[in-house]
Amino acid sequence: MTPQTSTDPDGRATPPDPTIDRFDRGEAAAEATAALRGTTRGELFRRAGLLVGGGAIAAGVPLAIADAQGGLSKRDVEILNYALTLEYLEAAFYAEAVDRGKLHGEAQRFASVVAQHEAAHVQALKKVLGGKAVKAPKFDFQGTTGSQKSFLATAQVLEDTGVSAYQGQAPRIKSDAVLASAGSILAVEARHAAWVRDIIGGGGDPVPAPSAFNEPKTMDQVLAAVKKTGFLQ
Amino acid sequence: MDNITPSVDVSHLAAFDLDGALGEAADRINHGTRKSFLRNAGILGGGMALLSLLPGVARAAGGGLPKGDIDILNYALTLEYLESSFYAEANRQGALSGELARFAKAVGQHEDAHVQALKQTLGGKATKKPRFDFQGTTAGKDTFAKTAMVLEDTGVKAYQGQATNIRTPAVLKAAISIHPVEARHAAWIASIMGSGSSPAPDAFNPAADMETVLAAVKSTGFVPALASAPAGDAVSGQPAMTG
Repeated sequence: MTPQTSTDPDGRATPPDPTIDRFDRGEAAAEATAALRGTTRGELFRRAGLLVGGGAIAAGVPLAIADAQGGLSKRDVEILNYALTLEYLEAAFYAEAVDRGKLHGEAQRFASVVAQHEAAHVQALKKVLGGKAVKAPKFDFQGTTGSQKSFLATAQVLEDTGVSAYQGQAPRIKSDAVLASAGSILAVEARHAAWVRDIIGGGGDPVPAPSAFNEPKTMDQVLAAVKKTGFLQ
Repeated sequence: MDNITPSVDVSHLAAFDLDGALGEAADRINHGTRKSFLRNAGILGGGMALLSLLPGVARAAGGGLPKGDIDILNYALTLEYLESSFYAEANRQGALSGELARFAKAVGQHEDAHVQALKQTLGGKATKKPRFDFQGTTAGKDTFAKTAMVLEDTGVKAYQGQATNIRTPAVLKAAISIHPVEARHAAWIASIMGSGSSPAPDAFNPAADMETVLAAVKSTGFVPALASAPAGDAVSGQPAMTG
């Protein structure tokens, strides 16, 4: 996640590279994670208006989450709101990209399909969370939706991050219904990631499926990465 | 990238210490249908069949894994054997070119790595590889691509359908690291096939339970031992895996 400034083929400056692939998972990462705990997350949630009073009893009983009768656990609510925040970000990014109309060909098809998916994820998560759902933050995509190239590069990062984010939370989820829903979204984020990678590289570089085992990321890793993009106002 | 080494180390599962809560898992999952399938496919070794009669022993001998998790891992292993053999045959046949050839090579390596990881996790309880007959589907580009798409879509649904049945956190972590890779494969092959097949056809990926997946596999005829099983045996209609 080293910020880099470069220039795209149209001569426009492109914003810092939000790639988090190089995120250090070793000792340094453990230190960073410890440092971030309780600060970054709290700060991010506050800024995003994510910390709402926990009083409300769980949401109405939506489609996929039929068995949350006793109410969702505190941790599941936190995970769902984290997922919702990432989905807000993705949904807003694709909506802006589609609106700006700078895309063509397969990238355009990708953007419009994925925009619908992310909007559906937002709706589903909001429904599950009901009164506990965090509000959508304000975003600034730093001009990345303004060209096909920067759109695709950013989409790749967002989707890869989405996959690792859901993967990182799955084992922490308490409710089976929430886990089942998260799994159904995880697979779709992975499909998006492979799709955009194939559009960019034609199956060469980046490889749509770069590894036999996908890497999970913790909430702190993901939130730190998101924070560094500057997308979240 | 030729990542053969599992980045999620599942080998330590052998040493996984069971907590008491796992003991009840075996009872909760209905094993009848799957056992009969696994037997018919020649998948269930004699030792495992015996152990299944002795729940306590099954747990101890399974590298500490509860029986339900062993069944799920062997089910996953069977699907991975199928995929890995399919791509190996396609790569040997040499009928593929361009991106399709790159896809087959990369994905073949992934499926091999999944097989190795699952076998390592299961140790002595790993089911043996069944004999496959891919019915000539690896000999042409179109049939290869269509078959690959079906296999990958099925793989995604299969892993997704088991997530809530897995009791051991380390097994869940391993499964959930394979699940999105199968989804990436599925999207990749759909993208190669182009218009008419969407890499991401729906906002929510469907899941499939074990019976549904095994019935689908049976219908392909790719597993001769399955095809000769009595009709309906692989699909008893019991909603066993919705726990």
